[in-house]
Amino acid sequence: MITETRTFFSILLICGLCLFGCDDFVEEVEVVDPTAEESGEDFQPIQFVTGVYGRHTDFSYAFSFLGITEIISDNADKGSAPTDTGADKDQLDGLTHTPSSVSIRGMWTQWYKTIGRASLAIEFTENFEEPIDESLRARLIGECKFLRALNYFWLVRTFGDVPLQDVDILTRAPVADVYAFIEQDLTEAIAALPEKSEYAPQDLGRATRGAAQALLAKAYLYQERWQDAADMANTVINSGEYDLEPDYATVWRAITENGVESIFELQGRGEIIAHGIQQYSSTQGARGPDGFGWGFNTPSEDLLNAFEDEGDAIRRDATIIFRGETLFDGRVINEGVENPRYNEKAYSSLNQGQADGDKNIRILRFAEILLIRAEALNELGQSGEALAPLNRVRSRVSLPDVTTTNQSELRMAIWKERRLELAMEHDRWYDLLRQGRAAEVMNALGLPFEVGKHELYPIPNDQLIQTPDLGQNPGW
Amino acid sequence: MKKNNQFLLILLFFTNVAVFSQSTITVSGVVSEVSGQPLPGASVVVQGTSIGTQTDFDGNYTLDNVLDNGTLVFSYIGYAPQEIAVNNRTVINASLQEDTQRLDEVVVVGYGEQKRSDITGAVVSVKSEEIVKLPTLTAVQAIQGKVAGVNIVANDAPGSTPTVIVRGVGTALAGRDPFYVVDGQPLQDIRSINPADIESIEFLKGASYANIYGIRAANGVILVTTKKGKEGKITFNFDSFFGLRSVLNRVEMANGEQYTQFFNEENAAIGGPQLQLNQRYDTDWYDELLQTGTVQSYNFSVSGASKKINYFLSYNFYDEEGILEDSRFSRGNIRSNNTFKLFDDKVRVIQNLNITYTNENPKGFDAFNTAFRQSPLVPVRYDNGRFGQSFYNETTGIVGFEGAEGDVIGRLNNAGNPVADVFFDDVNQNTTTLQGQITLEADITEYLTATGRFGATQGFLKRNEFEPIRQQWLNADPTRTVEQFEFERSDPDGDGIISTVFANNRFETRDEEFFRWNVEGFLTFDKSFGQHNLSATVGLSRENFGGREILEAEGFDVFDQPRLRNLNLRTSAFFDNTVTQEFNQSTNLQSYFARAEYDFAGKYFLRAVIRRDGTSDFITDENFFDNFPAFSLGWTLTEENFLKDNSVLNFLKVFGGWGQLGNANVPINVQQVNTDPDSGNQNYVFGPTQELIFGASFGSPVFPLQWEVTEEFEAGFDFAMLDRKLSGTFTYYDRNNTNAIINVQNTLNSAAEGDFLAQAAEVSNSGVEVLVNWRDRVGSDFTYNIGVNFSTNRNRVENVVPGFDGEVGGGLANGQITKRLQEGQPLFAWWLLEADGVWQNQEEIDNNASVGNARPGHLRYVDQNEDGVIDDRDKRFFDNYLPTFNYGVTIGAQYKNFDFSLDGFGVGGNKVYNGLANTRLQSVNISEEVFNSRWTGEGSTNSAPGADRDALASSFWLEDGDFFRINNITLGYTINNMGFLNRARLYFTAQNPFMFTDYSGFTPELNQSGTDAAGNPTFGNPRFGTGIELNAYPTTRTFILGLSVQI
Repeated sequence: MITETRTFFSILLICGLCLFGCDDFVEEVEVVDPTAEESGEDFQPIQFVTGVYGRHTDFSYAFSFLGITEIISDNADKGSAPTDTGADKDQLDGLTHTPSSVSIRGMWTQWYKTIGRASLAIEFTENFEEPIDESLRARLIGECKFLRALNYFWLVRTFGDVPLQDVDILTRAPVADVYAFIEQDLTEAIAALPEKSEYAPQDLGRATRGAAQALLAKAYLYQERWQDAADMANTVINSGEYDLEPDYATVWRAITENGVESIFELQGRGEIIAHGIQQYSSTQGARGPDGFGWGFNTPSEDLLNAFEDEGDAIRRDATIIFRGETLFDGRVINEGVENPRYNEKAYSSLNQGQADGDKNIRILRFAEILLIRAEALNELGQSGEALAPLNRVRSRVSLPDVTTTNQSELRMAIWKERRLELAMEHDRWYDLLRQGRAAEVMNALGLPFEVGKHELYPIPNDQLIQTPDLGQNPGW
Repeated sequence: MKKNNQFLLILLFFTNVAVFSQSTITVSGVVSEVSGQPLPGASVVVQGTSIGTQTDFDGNYTLDNVLDNGTLVFSYIGYAPQEIAVNNRTVINASLQEDTQRLDEVVVVGYGEQKRSDITGAVVSVKSEEIVKLPTLTAVQAIQGKVAGVNIVANDAPGSTPTVIVRGVGTALAGRDPFYVVDGQPLQDIRSINPADIESIEFLKGASYANIYGIRAANGVILVTTKKGKEGKITFNFDSFFGLRSVLNRVEMANGEQYTQFFNEENAAIGGPQLQLNQRYDTDWYDELLQTGTVQSYNFSVSGASKKINYFLSYNFYDEEGILEDSRFSRGNIRSNNTFKLFDDKVRVIQNLNITYTNENPKGFDAFNTAFRQSPLVPVRYDNGRFGQSFYNETTGIVGFEGAEGDVIGRLNNAGNPVADVFFDDVNQNTTTLQGQITLEADITEYLTATGRFGATQGFLKRNEFEPIRQQWLNADPTRTVEQFEFERSDPDGDGIISTVFANNRFETRDEEFFRWNVEGFLTFDKSFGQHNLSATVGLSRENFGGREILEAEGFDVFDQPRLRNLNLRTSAFFDNTVTQEFNQSTNLQSYFARAEYDFAGKYFLRAVIRRDGTSDFITDENFFDNFPAFSLGWTLTEENFLKDNSVLNFLKVFGGWGQLGNANVPINVQQVNTDPDSGNQNYVFGPTQELIFGASFGSPVFPLQWEVTEEFEAGFDFAMLDRKLSGTFTYYDRNNTNAIINVQNTLNSAAEGDFLAQAAEVSNSGVEVLVNWRDRVGSDFTYNIGVNFSTNRNRVENVVPGFDGEVGGGLANGQITKRLQEGQPLFAWWLLEADGVWQNQEEIDNNASVGNARPGHLRYVDQNEDGVIDDRDKRFFDNYLPTFNYGVTIGAQYKNFDFSLDGFGVGGNKVYNGLANTRLQSVNISEEVFNSRWTGEGSTNSAPGADRDALASSFWLEDGDFFRINNITLGYTINNMGFLNRARLYFTAQNPFMFTDYSGFTPELNQSGTDAAGNPTFGNPRFGTGIELNAYPTTRTFILGLSVQI
C-alpha cells in the first residue's frame, strides 16, 4: 500500500513540476491584434500629408462654408427655394443663427479635425524611422504647418479666442496666442517650403513658400500689423512667382487653375474617379428648369448695385450668372430658374449637378496680396505708395485709377475694391467685421446685427455640452 | 428496507457499492439539545458503516441493522458530535452540546474550504433548502432578495438568465457578470446547472476572498457546490412540480372608444382626418397575445455512500411554456458526482459529470411593444382570414381596408399585428453542454494534501430560423393577392434579378460550438501548533476559454415543412445560399496563487492571499502578468475573557480586509488608419492633370488598454446573541474600479475622428449590508424564523480625464437618448429635459422658451440655462436606474407537519423610464391611464400632455422604480416514515403573487439592454436599454403545486 501511495505521489509531483516553471503557456496563443503596424501595409509620411489636404474636400466646404462666409454677409442671399432652408442658411441670411446652427458646428468641427490630421501627420513624419529624403521630410512638415495655420486662421477670425488643440482643447487661448501660433507655423513653413516654381509638375497644388508668406501677410492684416503686412505682401509680390491673370473673367475658371495668379487653392477633380470639393458647384448651381444645382448662395442685389455703381461690368459679369444669360461655354440659363442671380465663380462647365465637381476653390490669389499691400501702406500713412498695387488690380478690369491720397478716402476705396475683386470668395463677412463696419452695413440692409454679439460666431452648442468650461462668446 | 442485501447500482460511469451484514439489532431513541429540546434532522450513523438515518421533527430516530457491539455517531450542524457505544441497548438517547468554540459549518472559499467561524470577509452561503424552496430554472433566481449586496434582477422570459450584480455595477464597458465556479470548475452558463443538484452556493462578495480568482473576480465570485452522496442508506428522491403562469402587472390599454376619441383629438390639433365614433372592432391586444403559461419540472436522484464510494446521480427535466403562444423552453439535465476513496481514504478521486440539453422556441419581445401600440380598432384577423393591419378609410373614417371608388385608404400607424408577429416568428434553438471534471485529492501527510484537477466543457448550439416571407407579404395587406406575388417572382423587368422580398421564405441555420478546459493543482497545508493554527495553500492553474466557432447559412425558397427545411433541397434556384463563418480566438490564462491563514486560539485571525494571472489577450503589451494581493484580519471578541462568560452575546467577531480584483473581459482598441479607394477625404488631387493621389489618415487615437483593476476595502462584524436566536452580519464596503474603460466621444475640437476607448475614469461603489436573523421555538410544535436583509449602494463615476466623459446612451430608437456618463454622477445617469407642466395656450409658447413646433397641450420644458432656447444644454441629471437600496424579508414557520414560508424583496432609490409610453408615434394606442389623465384644453390639467404631444425624452416619463414584491408564499405538509416512504412533502407555492409599485408600466425590473447579433436579448448593459421599458418581458406570477418524495 505504501509503495503504491509513493508511486502515486511521485507521479503527482512530476505532473505538478511540469505545470510549474512554464510561464510561456500564455504565449502559446498567438494573439492577432489588427493594428495598423501589423496590417501589412507600409504607410509613408506623404500619405498622411495627402490626408490633411484631403480633409479640405469635405462637403462642409461646399455648403456650411458658404453660409458662414457669404450668405450671412451683404454680398449674398440664401437663394434656393423659399421652403428650402438649407438646414440653417435662412438663419444665417437673416442673422438669426444660434449656437445650434449646424453650419457653425460643421466648420468648427471641420477646421479642428483638419488641424488634428495635420498635427498627427507632422508627428508621424518627424518620427518616421525608415530612410527618407530629409528635404522631403522637412517639406512635408512645412506643408502640414501651412495647412494647420490656415485652419487656425479660419477659426480665430470666426470664433475669436479658441482652444489650441496642440496645447489644450479645454482652454480657450486668447486671439493673440492663436495668431502667435499661426505665425510660428507659417514662419517654419516659409523656411521649409519651396517656391511654387521649385516644385515638380506633379506636385502642383501643394503648399508653397509663397502661400505661407501670403497667408502670413493676411494674418498680419487681420491683426492690423500694417508694416509686417506690407512687407510680407511685398515679399510675395517681388518673388517673381505670381502675376495677375490678364482676363479677370477666367480667374475662377478651369483654365487658370493653379495658374500664375493662384497662390493657394483647394483642388477638385471631376473625371472619374471624381474627387472634388464635393458639390461646391452644384449647391450653388442654377435651380429650376434646365438647372444644375440647388441654387444657394446667390449674389445679392446689394452686390449687383455695388458693381453697377462702380461701372464694373467685367467683374459683375464674371461674378454673377443672370437669368436667361448665355454663359461663356454656351450653356443657356433658362429664364424660368428660381433665382434671379447665381454665383458664377462657383460655376463649372462640367457640372451637371453631380456629387464631385471639378471646381478648384481659390483660397489665396495674387490680386488679394496687392490689395493687402495697398491697405497696409495706406494705414501706414504711405497712401501715395498704396495707389500702385490698388490700381494694378483696377486696371485689369479697365477701371480708372484711384488718385486720392486722402487716407480715409483711400481706405474706403480699397475696401470697396476688396469687395468687388474678391466678391463671393469667402472673405466679405470677415472684412466687414475686421473693418468694424458690419453693424453699419448690415443694419442699413435691415438686418439685426447686434453690436457686442455678432462680431463673433457662437461656440457650437454641441461643443459646449461636451466641454462646458470653454464658455460662450459674448452676447450668445 | 430490512433486507440484508447487496446493492448493485450501475450508475452512469462506474459505481459499485457493497454492504455486508453481521448480527444486528434495531436501536431507537431521541436526539435533543442539552436543554432537552429535540433536534430534528440530526444525523445518526453507525460508525464505520454507511448505515444511518436522520431524526424526525421530534428528534426521534429508529435505526435497523445496528451491530450489537457497534458505536453510534450523533451529529448536527453547529453541535459537537457525540459517539455512544451500543452495548446491546435498543434505546439510546443522545443530547448534543452546541459547539460554541467553533461553528462546524464549512464554507467553500475557492481552492479550499474554511470554517464559517474563521471567515474574515463578506462570504454569504446559501444552502440547498433555500435554493429549492423557490422552483426556478436557475439557482440564482431563487435567491433573489436573499443575499444583501447581491442584486439579482429577474427576467421572466422562458429560459432567460437573471442579471446578477454584486455590490453595484463597477464598469462601463467591461464584462459585468460575476465569475461562476462549480465544484472548482469555471462555469460557462449558470442555466446548465439544475438547482436541485446544488448543495450550497457561496457568494464571495468582498475582494479579500474573491481575489483568489484574480483577473476575473471584479464582479464578484459565485461558487456552486453540487451534491455528493452522504453516508447513510441509499436515498431516492423524486421531486416534481407543476405551475400556471400569467402576467403579474398588466397595463390596461385604452379601448376602441377611448382610442377613437384620443385619435380625433390628436388629429384635430394637427389637421388630420377624423374617425367615426362607432367602429366594428374593439380588440384587446394583450388578451389576444397573452396566454397562461405553464412550468413543470421532474427531478429524480439517487445518492448514498459506502466506505469506498460516495455517489450521486440525478436527472431533471424542466419545461416551460411562456405567456406568448408557442414560446417554449425545456431543459434536460443529467448529473453524476462520484467520489472514490482509495488507500484508506488517503486518496480520493472525484468525478463530476453534467450533461445539459435545451430546446427552445423563443418569441421576440417586440410583440409586447406592438401590442402596446396597435389600435384596438384593428381586428386580429379580417373576414377573409388575413391578419388585421392598421388600414382605415380616411374618407369615411372607418377602420378597415374596404372603401368605395375614390376613397383614400390610409394607415392609422406603422405598428404591425402582434399576434401575426408571434405567429410568424419561427425560431428553434437547441443547445447541448457537456461538462466534466476529475479531481484527485491525496493526503500526503496528515496535514498536507495535494489536489489536482482537470475539467472540460464543450457546448453546441443549433439555431434555425424560418421566415415565411410569402405569408408575411400577403398578410401585411389584405388586398394583396397570390397572383401579384407570383408576378413579382416572375422577373417582370427581365433583368434576371428577383428580389428576396419575393422569396417564398427565408431559412437561416446557425451552428455554434465552444470549448473550454481547466487544469489546476494545489497543495494545502493545515496544522495546529498548540494554540497557533496555520493553514496555507499554494497552487497554479491553466485555463483555456473563449474559443468559439460559428457557422451560419442562409437560403431562400426552401420547403415549408419543418422536417424538409434543407438548404440543398430548395423549391427554386432564384436565390443563392450564403454561408458565413466566424472564429473567436480563445484565451489562455496562466495563474499562480498562494494563501495563508493563521489564527491564534480562534481569537485572532490573519489571512493573506496573492494571485498572479497572465492572459494571452494582452500578450502584445509588455506586461501581461499582474499580481492581485489581498489580506484580512479578524478578532473574535467573544473568545476573550471579558466577554466569554456573558449570557447575552454568544458570538461576536469583527473583521476587515482589503484586496485587488481584476476584470480582463474588456474591449480592446484597434489602431485604425483610414484609406479609401474612391473619393474618401484622405485622397486629394495634385498636378496639372489633377491626378487622384491616395492618402491616409489616422482614425481615433489608440490608447493601450489593460484589464481594469478594482480595489476594495471592507469591514464588518458577525454576531449571535440570546442563545443564538438572534444572529447577523453588518458589513461596510467601498470598492473602486481604478482604471475603468470608457468610450470617449470625440469632442468636436479634438483630433480624434471617431469615438475611442480609454482607461480614463474611476467607478466607485460603496454601501452597507445588514443581515439579521431571528429563530425561535414556541412550545414543542412551533418553530419560526424571520430574516431581514438590507443593503445600500452608492454608485459614482469619478476622476474622469477632462473632456473624456459625456458619452450618451439609452437610445429610444427614435433618435432620442436618455442617459449620459458624467463625472460625479452615477454610471450612465438619466440625462433629460425637465418637464414642467403643459402649454395651455399659444400665447404662453410665444412668450417663453420652447422647443420647435410646440403646440398647446405639449409638455413644456425648463430652460435650465435661461438662454431662451430649449436644447440639449437644458438637460439635467436625474439619478440612475440602479437602486440605491435593496431589502429582503424571509419568514419561515413550522407547526407539526406543516411548513410555511414567505419571502419578499424590494428595491428603492432607482428611476425607470417608461419608453413604451414616451416613444409613442402618431395614432398608436395609449394606456387607459394616459387617456384619462390627458390635457383636453386650456385649464384642463397642467400635469399630462394632450392627445397631440411630442416624443422628446424628458423627466415626465421617468418614474420611481421602487417596488416591493412578495416573491414566494409556500405552504407545505410533510409526512415522515410512512410505509416505504422515508419522507413525502406536498406543497403549494405562489410565486410573485403581489407586487407593490407606483410604476405605470409592466415591470420596474428592466434589465434587458438590447439584442445581440442573433436577435437574442442581452441584459444589464448600463449604456443601453437597461432601466428603460421598451419591449421588456413582463414580470409573471406563478402558482405551483409540488411533491417531493424521499425513499
